[in-house]
Amino acid sequence: MTTAPHAADNAEVTEVDTSARCALLLLLAFAVLWLVVSGVLALVNLVQLHTPALLADCSLLTYGRTHALQETAFIYGWAANAGLAVALWILARLGGSPLRSLNWVMAGTVFWNLAIALGLVGIATGDGTSNAWLHLPRYVLPMMLVAYGTIAVPGVLAWSGRRHETAFAAQWYGVAALFLFPWIFSLAQVMLVFVPERGVLQALVAGWFVQGAWTLWLAPLALTAAYYLVPKLSGRTITSYEFAALSFWTLLFVGAWTGGRHLIGGPVPAWIPTIAVVSCALLLFHYIVVALNLRAAFSGGGSTVMKFMALGLGAYVLGGFIDAATALRSVAAFSQFTYFSTAQTQLALTGAFSMLLYGAIYFLAPRITGQPWPSVVLIRAHYAAALTGTVGLVIALAGAGWIQGHDLRDPLVSFAAIAAHVRPWLLIATAAQAILLFGNLLLAAHLVRLIAAKSAAPAAGLFRPAPAMEAPAS
Amino acid sequence: MRNGFTFFVGLFLALGLAWAGIVLGSHLQLGHLAPYFDESEGKAFPERMPGIAARGQLVYQDLGCASCHTQQVRRPDFGSDKARGWGDRQSVARDYVSQVQVQLGESRIGPDLANFGARPQAVDADRLTQYLYDQHGGMPAYRFLFETRKVTGERSAKALRAAAPAGWEIVPTPRAEALVAYLQSLTNVYEYPEARPVVPAATKEGEHK
Repeated sequence: MTTAPHAADNAEVTEVDTSARCALLLLLAFAVLWLVVSGVLALVNLVQLHTPALLADCSLLTYGRTHALQETAFIYGWAANAGLAVALWILARLGGSPLRSLNWVMAGTVFWNLAIALGLVGIATGDGTSNAWLHLPRYVLPMMLVAYGTIAVPGVLAWSGRRHETAFAAQWYGVAALFLFPWIFSLAQVMLVFVPERGVLQALVAGWFVQGAWTLWLAPLALTAAYYLVPKLSGRTITSYEFAALSFWTLLFVGAWTGGRHLIGGPVPAWIPTIAVVSCALLLFHYIVVALNLRAAFSGGGSTVMKFMALGLGAYVLGGFIDAATALRSVAAFSQFTYFSTAQTQLALTGAFSMLLYGAIYFLAPRITGQPWPSVVLIRAHYAAALTGTVGLVIALAGAGWIQGHDLRDPLVSFAAIAAHVRPWLLIATAAQAILLFGNLLLAAHLVRLIAAKSAAPAAGLFRPAPAMEAPAS
Repeated sequence: MRNGFTFFVGLFLALGLAWAGIVLGSHLQLGHLAPYFDESEGKAFPERMPGIAARGQLVYQDLGCASCHTQQVRRPDFGSDKARGWGDRQSVARDYVSQVQVQLGESRIGPDLANFGARPQAVDADRLTQYLYDQHGGMPAYRFLFETRKVTGERSAKALRAAAPAGWEIVPTPRAEALVAYLQSLTNVYEYPEARPVVPAATKEGEHK
């Protein structure tokens, strides 16, 4: 880890890091807060699946609303705040100069999170829109768009005003994510909420939006962290880097076309699911290149940050292959509408996105505060909880989905019987979710301790210098 | 990727192509889809929802019913949708043209509801209201959609048969009534030209074999 004091110079931390301290810590604090909130809600939600009576009399937390609440808190609370913090920091570092207009970033952060809090209250009291990944009530959407702009603009400026002519893969992904999200978000708002499309076109816009938000926003944010940290920590250059650009453009151009895979067999023109199936297969190129580029992460050993990166990258690539497999019509007939899809979403969000971001936060936070993490044990404990929790959750949900898919095909099996069959798996998933929540509470407590310790000791010689980049011998 | 301008053009193209392809492409195909006027019946299908059902759809939306129920019947050879009695034909785009908020859903923790009002084993309003009050088949009870009030004068005709303390009655709120009306209004029975199964017709005429 970064805790070993080193006699070498302190060039690892520069003004780029220290100047952004307050703004980035604010983003991270909100991110971790929402992570815990969404973890609690996800736990309630999972318990409601096998014990439907829980909170059933409470209209604020009925199953449908808890589901919307936990999803919203995760995506717009945790993922957005954490992703923005990491992307801003990496873009500033690679750009070579401190971030500009940080006051705007802080103001934007406050308003973004106010909007989310307001939105969650709105969903709980019945103003939700029932669109996947866009449950937020209409009255907070414009405010979120403006707030996002004020946070993201300094990141794009850091890229366009960069000191080095060449741009690195981490920068492509970071700029793409920061720049594209407002467009996707505003198009989806208009076409789903303010001037809704007619009939099933709504479902098509929603499918495009969910997939776009993943492939053009969240996945690139996570890859920003991966492409920056893996070579930096391993001290090795990215292998097969010449394919990285093609892989990037494949994700961007092909990714959003896979949105129709959830509509296979649905009341939409048949060419939409067909294109989605083909696109899922094309996108495999991207996943293979990511695995090739960053294979240094899997070479074992290394710090806990590297272990988080390896876990996240493994989940990301595995998720891509599973998406392609379940997009095939014969598999979709079986896996569609089951917990198997939930398992895929969790593999992407909890497995890939969160792991890569945890790694980045553990690397970033000591550098902006100038303090080491108070406890290496807590980081290892979080890693252990995240690993067991994610693996348990994804496998349990996939197992439940397998049984549910099997039972749904047999018209004689009632829904009460299906619920009884999947119950043991859902209990395992609940336990796994509780472990995940425990791990996230550790992260929250640890971050509070780190911020509280800010004014204590000087930071000189805290970080060992980054290893020099070397091409692998082979 | 040295050239910032080209890079941003590329980003825009990536976003724009997928959006144009999926959203505008399907809009061109389906945007003008209108209800189908059947001259022999003298009315257009799908029929407009009654006002109370449209209000019920909002209840369905704000409670997030779509997180457990789909509203899309798949074709008979794709899954067991037909065998479960959810509908004889697959849902088509025209079924949804008059719905304000389409709730196709992505999860079948509970049964599909696209054709709920027209199922062979149709559920009458009283039973359905009772289902919402008691838990039924794994679905939790939604007691907050009901009101327990003192009987003044005669008992309400809407009162549930559920055990209420003497002198009290349990009645559905307007939201519960709207939700029930909405669920009962869900039918896609009408056979649009595009919804007729192609294969049986072709083999019957024997032209393509």
